[in-house]
Amino acid sequence: MTRRIAQILGRGGELNPRNMRLGIWAWLIQRISGLALVVFVIAHVLAISQANLALTGPLFTMFDGLRNPFWAVNRTVLVIDLLILGIIAFHGMNGIRIVLFDVGVGVGLRSQKVVFYILIAIGVVASGLVIFYGLPLLGGT
Amino acid sequence: MVVVLGVHLWLANFGQASASLRAILGVILLGLALFHGLNGVRTVILDFNVGIQGRKFAAVILLLLGAASFLFGLHGLWPLIIGG
Repeated sequence: MTRRIAQILGRGGELNPRNMRLGIWAWLIQRISGLALVVFVIAHVLAISQANLALTGPLFTMFDGLRNPFWAVNRTVLVIDLLILGIIAFHGMNGIRIVLFDVGVGVGLRSQKVVFYILIAIGVVASGLVIFYGLPLLGGT
Repeated sequence: MVVVLGVHLWLANFGQASASLRAILGVILLGLALFHGLNGVRTVILDFNVGIQGRKFAAVILLLLGAASFLFGLHGLWPLIIGG
C-alpha cells in the first residue's frame, strides 16, 4: 500500500501535482468534495434530528449552523456555510459534466475543458445568486 | 438530485410550500443524497483494492450507516410528515 502510494505521488506518478492536468484535478477534487459532502449530509441529518436537545454554548452554535446552513449565527459558521455552498456547486456542476461525458457531450480533449469551464461558470453564477439574494439572511436574524 | 437539491435550497431560504410538499421533497432528497454519497464512498474504497472481504465489509458498514442516517432523517422530518 505504502509503495503504491509512493508510486502514485512520486516523480512521474499520476497524482504528482507536477504531472496533473485539468481532468485529473477535477477527478481528485470531485472525490474530496464528495467525501466532505457525505460528512456534511450526515451531520446535517443528525443535527435536524436532534432539534429538541437543550444544547448551549459552542455546541448549540455548531448544531444550529448544521441545522440551518445559510442562516449563519456567526462569522465562523458563515465561512463554513459559504465553503459548503462552493463545494456543492463544484461537485454538482462537475457531476453534470461527467453525465454529459457519458452521453457523448464534451468528449474531445479540448471540448472537455470547454464544457468544464462553462459548467463551473454556471456554478459560480448560481452560487453568486444564492449569496446575493441570501445575504440578508446570512447575517442571521 | 441536482434539481431536488436546488428546490430544497430555494425553499429553505426563500420559498414557501405546503408541509406535505416539503415532506415529500425531504424524504426524496434524504434517500437520494444518502445513497449517492455512501455509494460514492464505496467507490473510493474500491479504488484501494481492498479485496472481496473488504468490499463486503465496506458495503455492510455503509448500508448500516445509510439505514441509520435515513431513520434519523425521517425522525427529523416527522413533524412535516404527520403535519402534511
